[in-house]
Amino acid sequence: MLKSRLAASAMALMAGAAGLFGTTAAHAQNLVMWGPEQITEPLIAELWNGIKADFEAENSGVTVEFTPPTGTISNGAVQAAIQSNAGPDVILTNSGVARVSTVVDAELVMPLTEAYTERGWDEQIYPWLYEELQGQRGGEIYEVPDGLDALGIWYHKDMFEEHGWEIPDTWSGFVDLMAEIKAEGIMPIAIGPRTAGSAGHLFGNMLQAASGQEAVGKALAGELAWTDPSMVTGAVRLRELVDQGYIDKSMAALDLDGAARLWFNKRAAMFVAGPWFTANARNADYDLDNAGFAAMPSDTGEAMPTGGVGWSWLIPANSKHPELAMKWIDFVLSDEVMKRRAEDPASTMLYPREIEGLEPPTAILGEIFEVAAGGVGYNPSVYLPASVVDTYFQVIQGIISAQLTGEEAMAEIEAKMAEAE
Amino acid sequence: MSLAGTTTKDADGTAARIARPPRQPRSSSPDRIGSALPLMLPALAVYAVFTLAPIAMTFWLSFTDSGGFNTTANFVGVDNYVRATQDPIIWQSLVRTLLWVIYHLVLAGGLGLVLAIAISRLRTTQVFFRTAFFLPHLVSLAVVGVIWANIYDPFYGLLNTALERIGLGNWTQGWLSDPLLVLFSVNVASSWQGFGLYMLLFIAGLQNIDPSLYEAAEIDGANEWHKLRDITLPGLSEVMTFVVSLALINGLKGFATVFVMTGGGPFYQSELITTYIYRLAFSAQDHGLAAVLCILLSLFAISITIVFNRWRARQSA
Amino acid sequence: MRRKGSEWPIVLGLIPVFVLILGPFAWLIISSLKTEAEIGRADPFALPGDLMWRNYLDAWQIGGFGGLIANSFINLAGVVALTLITCAPAGYALAKIRFPGREWLFYAMIFGLTIPVQAIVIPLYQVLFSLGLVNTLLGITLAQVSNGIPFGIFLMRSFFMGVPDELTEAARMDGASHFEILRTIMLPLSTPALQALVIICALSTWNDFFLPLVVLISPSVQTLPLGLVRFASTYASEYRLVFSGTVITFLPIILLYLLTQRRFTEGLTQGALKG
Repeated sequence: MLKSRLAASAMALMAGAAGLFGTTAAHAQNLVMWGPEQITEPLIAELWNGIKADFEAENSGVTVEFTPPTGTISNGAVQAAIQSNAGPDVILTNSGVARVSTVVDAELVMPLTEAYTERGWDEQIYPWLYEELQGQRGGEIYEVPDGLDALGIWYHKDMFEEHGWEIPDTWSGFVDLMAEIKAEGIMPIAIGPRTAGSAGHLFGNMLQAASGQEAVGKALAGELAWTDPSMVTGAVRLRELVDQGYIDKSMAALDLDGAARLWFNKRAAMFVAGPWFTANARNADYDLDNAGFAAMPSDTGEAMPTGGVGWSWLIPANSKHPELAMKWIDFVLSDEVMKRRAEDPASTMLYPREIEGLEPPTAILGEIFEVAAGGVGYNPSVYLPASVVDTYFQVIQGIISAQLTGEEAMAEIEAKMAEAE
Repeated sequence: MSLAGTTTKDADGTAARIARPPRQPRSSSPDRIGSALPLMLPALAVYAVFTLAPIAMTFWLSFTDSGGFNTTANFVGVDNYVRATQDPIIWQSLVRTLLWVIYHLVLAGGLGLVLAIAISRLRTTQVFFRTAFFLPHLVSLAVVGVIWANIYDPFYGLLNTALERIGLGNWTQGWLSDPLLVLFSVNVASSWQGFGLYMLLFIAGLQNIDPSLYEAAEIDGANEWHKLRDITLPGLSEVMTFVVSLALINGLKGFATVFVMTGGGPFYQSELITTYIYRLAFSAQDHGLAAVLCILLSLFAISITIVFNRWRARQSA
Repeated sequence: MRRKGSEWPIVLGLIPVFVLILGPFAWLIISSLKTEAEIGRADPFALPGDLMWRNYLDAWQIGGFGGLIANSFINLAGVVALTLITCAPAGYALAKIRFPGREWLFYAMIFGLTIPVQAIVIPLYQVLFSLGLVNTLLGITLAQVSNGIPFGIFLMRSFFMGVPDELTEAARMDGASHFEILRTIMLPLSTPALQALVIICALSTWNDFFLPLVVLISPSVQTLPLGLVRFASTYASEYRLVFSGTVITFLPIILLYLLTQRRFTEGLTQGALKG
């Protein structure tokens, strides 16, 4: 133990010395990458170590070093890492305009607008996605999307088959379904709102199902009041689910994993999550072939998942190797790497462009790709202004713990929105 | 003691007394500051850089619009103070903090006292119980948070599942989701960790009480309650002062269990000043408002200390 | 010591308290030896079918607990050493050297006793940052030492004040410097106070969470409590790992305590009460 620590520190010392004297020499570059999440898991480590090896083979003398993330922008971990100056050269983290704005406003990351056109990144992501990014920060772009989210209902195929249940087309049908599930002694929906994002997954689904994608988009842009009668329905419905016992009040204290455990053990019938949930399911030894995915039933137009940019690459303003970091992003965006990732069993997301001839590694991912093919609505967590997100998450806890009515919750959000303008 | 020994000592003493020049009176010739400085310097340097300077800078920050560690901060007068008065969560967190401190004092201090009195009556098993009851104090509060979050889990936790198994199913609660219960529940976890130290201190205090006092009281026919009221508690008064101040300060510093178990939720119901400072400073990057809260926390700590010491002084006067 | 009669009624009364207070440990250790499926059954009184020692092996490897424990010990040793080096001389100077401004300085030093570290964390972070000490064990150590200085000085000063002036003044007459007096006379006398300071410092450093949370970013420099919280939230879907990892974090210190129990208890209480 001690020996290996000594050896490690000796190596670190040598690496440091090499960094000191050899920064100009191309053969001694060390690219420190923040991420990916759960790199210590064998399956994920195998995939990324493979990508790393290929990149190192292509760029002689370069080593890539993964730093397991200690958190996200939401809890300040990314900011702290950048500020530490010992920090990463390139970052892969949970994104969305709100989170990215936080680090942009603190001048912690580089603008990448020019790189988009110079390196052809603009051609390598969906056109609508590029447009959206251009519209977010007055034309300047600071992130390269790595993956998209698509949030919808996960259910157990065997349980639904056994009882003859189906995800219906209308909200009232959905409420009836929950009543039936509850009558069987099963919790209809599990949710873990203590994990910030997780609170927003179900809530965002419900807002869109009640008010439609367009209204949610307007509310996020500040063009429609959250307290507008056309917006509050989703929040009011969530409180109704709580009052009727379809969502257990004590879930207000659960985190994502505490709630997911209820679903994996089939004590709960449904769970709102995205493709990344496959990783949780695998860790919990849940049989992924038994998982089904559907969009939340909507009364306004076609039912579709919510989502948006889930993960992005950022380059810290104090990156020691910005050029190399961009090369790494080039590499990640290449067909070869993207297809390899998308077909890997560790794959847990939608990719930022259409991939020709893709074979989804699991049936459930294939289902999610299919449901999301018609487009993805807004997950407010990633679109809300940074100063509003925290309130947004807290009021969802407020509804689920039956402290706030739907109207009160929306009034809280609206007050923060007004402040943000 | 041998005769020779005594003689030698006497002789030495006498010799010394004669050889020694007359002692200087105490009040004269204070040492120059130069002789104290080198001894003070290491402590002063560390303390000035890492404590005093940050205290001063906190004041400055509270008058700026600093929005992050790398951004430039502009002077904005009392804006942050005005914003603070308008933020209902700040006031709520103040009340929660006060409640939190009281819970800690009663739960951890009270349990420590009761167990100390019980344990100090034991002979053969005293060390065993003292050692066993101190074990929770060795667990870091953050780790306590991880443990108790699992104990309180409404569906899989030790507490609810055990209640169900022993037929008390209707006693199960959403320990961390019920708005009225959550702060108390988290405090129980903190106090579980905290009471052991107070217990040890009380035991030490009890050992300093003269046993003959009890014997005399017994001869006078005093019962257990009288002995507790008239001998034990008064005899503990000094330790009590120390433990109460310690518990107050520890209570005010409460952070880790809340941070780990609830993050301040649900809907700010367990938000303390400390967790709200963290939220504002590190997640919302609103350093100006966070600095106001920092000053509030300091004032809170100072005034609790002063009020308590005043009260104590009046009690003993 | 002073009671007649049997102690067994009290012991009987303490047994339920014992079960309640140590129950969490028992539950945690039993759960840590279960399979994920057994934990999922949510039966607190069920014993594991096979003892899953593998959980510990997996948690140890995945969580990197070896490194975390090493960091915690380095941190602890640094804080203890620096606290002694700073507080013993300062406590002596404030107790035994009559220099102008002594009272004033003493109050300035113990002012920090009432200021919670959370109240100065933003500028403290900036100070550490400008010194290049963010994300280093040295940075966290210095901040913790500074945080402990008010108590340390208070304790050492109280102890030194109890040492008769005759001792120091006689040495002064013989031409001894203050440093020599401290080293040859005061320190050998003050073992109880030093022991108390060491134990109190060690305990608070070992348990610290707030400063590491703010300052230590890379897993390679993190200390045990922070490392465990990160581990528990990353692997939250594998409760067998969360439970065994948690046991790993408190087992070393509990064993250490059980071995040194008597001295530990004495040091902690005597020192704290003198101070």
